[in-house]
Amino acid sequence: MGKAAAGLRGELRELVAENVPADFLGAFTDDPADLETAQGFCRVLAERGLLCLAWPEEYGGAGASVWEQTVVREEMWAHHEPRGAQYMGVNWVGPTIMRHGTAEQRSRHLPPIARGEVIWCQGFSEPDAGSDLASLRTAARRDGDGWRISGQKIWTSYATMAQWCFLLARTSKQEKKQQGLTIFLVPMSDPAIEVRPIDCMMGPHHLNEVFFDDLKVTEADVLGDVDGGWKVVQEVLSFERVGIARYARCERLLRLAPEVLGDRWDDLPDELRGRWAGALTRCRRARLLAYQVVAAQDRGAVRPGDAAAYRIAVTKLDQESAEVLMEIVGSAPPDGEQGRIFRREVEDHWRYAQASTVASGSIEVQRILLARAMLAAS
Amino acid sequence: MNIELSEEAAEYGRQALEAFKAAGGDGLVQQAEAEPGHRAEQVAPVLAELGAWDLDARGDADELEAAAALCRSAGYWAVPYPVAERLARPADLGTDGLVVVAGTAPAGAVAGLDLRWTAVTPDGRRATAAALPPAAPPRESAFVTGLALTPLDEAGAADAALGLVLPCWTLLGMLDRAIDLAREHVLVREQFGRPLAQFQGVQFQLTDAEVERSGLEMMARYALWSGQANLPEALDDALALRLAALEAAETVFRVAHQLHGAIGFCDESPLSWISRYSQPVRRLPLGLSATRDLLARRLGRHALTGRYGDVAERVTS
Ligand SMILES: Cc1cc2nc3c(=O)[nH]c(=O)nc-3n(C[C@H](O)[C@H](O)[C@H](O)COP(=O)(O)OP(=O)(O)OC[C@H]3O[C@@H](n4cnc5c(N)ncnc54)[C@H](O)[C@@H]3O)c2cc1C
Repeated sequence: MGKAAAGLRGELRELVAENVPADFLGAFTDDPADLETAQGFCRVLAERGLLCLAWPEEYGGAGASVWEQTVVREEMWAHHEPRGAQYMGVNWVGPTIMRHGTAEQRSRHLPPIARGEVIWCQGFSEPDAGSDLASLRTAARRDGDGWRISGQKIWTSYATMAQWCFLLARTSKQEKKQQGLTIFLVPMSDPAIEVRPIDCMMGPHHLNEVFFDDLKVTEADVLGDVDGGWKVVQEVLSFERVGIARYARCERLLRLAPEVLGDRWDDLPDELRGRWAGALTRCRRARLLAYQVVAAQDRGAVRPGDAAAYRIAVTKLDQESAEVLMEIVGSAPPDGEQGRIFRREVEDHWRYAQASTVASGSIEVQRILLARAMLAAS
Repeated sequence: MNIELSEEAAEYGRQALEAFKAAGGDGLVQQAEAEPGHRAEQVAPVLAELGAWDLDARGDADELEAAAALCRSAGYWAVPYPVAERLARPADLGTDGLVVVAGTAPAGAVAGLDLRWTAVTPDGRRATAAALPPAAPPRESAFVTGLALTPLDEAGAADAALGLVLPCWTLLGMLDRAIDLAREHVLVREQFGRPLAQFQGVQFQLTDAEVERSGLEMMARYALWSGQANLPEALDDALALRLAALEAAETVFRVAHQLHGAIGFCDESPLSWISRYSQPVRRLPLGLSATRDLLARRLGRHALTGRYGDVAERVTS
């Protein structure tokens, strides 16, 4: 990684320090100022060419290496993702549109993502289609030169703030349920779409239900081939092979703990400090497993088993570190302003960590993928 | 740190694996247990042929990687010989090997070998060590015996790091083997009319073991590099590796035994041998709790390696 990555890391930390309040806990709190912070931060990143660093130059990026992308992922997640929901547009919506979009779709959608102006949401999961995503039922039927879409999505993150939805719907019934699915790029402002927030422990503006009541879209809103959506979904997942750099936040908070507690650190039970050291060790382990996948990605040779092993390790780390940190702040509640912020960070981390083994595909699905790789004929 | 082991080291490891197999494979440890007096003779020619004692683990990075790969291959067959300890021998004392010791009853798996040893504590105190006659046969002791120490100096910080790291590579090889054995077993063994591998409960145990093993592999590479680069925190990195190794061993051996069922406890199953002979490296010089305890005490209020993220800047591919 070397100097370039270190320089980039330093630059990102400075930008966070300048543009994000110290007590920022993500864009999805009850305080509208937090969403403002995230939107403003995306524009700052965009102006400096840092938002879409990894994109090819022709789309406004800098064609950054996978290592620089790793640094961005780490720094953003470590600091409560000050890009808010926009990381999705940058990480996978944009790149997928680059690969499968028409010239018109590319020129319509890519520049606003690159400028840091637009939020996308992902409409995949449904009440009866979670891990078994391909059994989804939201249907698009032909209507003149376009389509009409009806059905329901659920667990749609950021749907209240999104302008666009990357929607997966059934366009035909075929022999296999993975066939006959299509991606639509639909504007959330359409009155045929209703968003209902779901109160949940991740905070007030995170999960939603989205209802489609005879939404009219045109042929121009179809991404890729009609009935060819499953292949695109697989690609979306491959852009997210390493996914969120959860280890970076775990490590940052674990490192911060003794500093925030000061002398009271020494009063913690030995066993708890042992668990803290163990959690740090597993941070390093998860980080190295991520780097192994990143290096393989760089060579174009990711083994699916490695990616799954990393995902299992990092999601478990998220939960373990959350328990250790909660116990640390519970045993010796840190005081002062720094202490107050730290307690809130830890509490927020704990709540988010509960979902890490379910969000973006449960840990069991990763185990199934790893087992398949291990048991395949060698 | 290069995220991948060099191709030369990997190739050397494969050659060593083949050489140990040709020399008896699983039979090596079984024979050594039956005739402990001959255990050195049995593997000496293979190790000589591999040029094991020409490797300078403290010299160049390539040779250190080769040494690590050799330990891993020795672990795979539970080779009944202190390969890692001999490869870690101090540069300046003219002894044949290095054993890390801790606590009031220093010991190592070095019984019955006509070799001169150096002992070092994790905080770098060195001593000349003589292996005492074993108190129990290898079936019980796995060649562990007490050491009589004559204090020497306090110049062994780097010795301690290397002396902790290389045996973890041996243990990694043992975990490679335990998982291979478990995998082969569940693919072949049928119950309820199908191979055990088709049961999700079985698959998931196997994946838990593999996550531990692959994580340990990365930690082992990191600590190897950290020691070679003479980082000030090399000893902490070595202890973090040991912690990861001991936790991984607990999970992997538990899963491997469980998935084998009763056959895994029998002498006819290689798992039972690997499992028994993994004991010395897992308990000495520090068990899981003692390792975690020492790491936490050494870290104090500092996390591993400086500011977070530093690891990233040190990785190349
Ligand atoms: C914070 C958060 C954000 C999300 N954001 C989005 C979003 O933006 N867009 C979107 O489309 N979706 C989103 N999701 C939904 C997410 O993708 C699903 O929750 C996930 O795929 C699991 O589906 P499910 O919740 O229906 O659980 P189910 O599929 O009902 O599974 C429940 C549990 O059963 C077990 N299980 C299921 N299948 C198997 C199996 N084959 N073998 C063994 N065990 C099994 C697992 O333990 C699993 O956790 C989000 C979820 C969370 C928690």
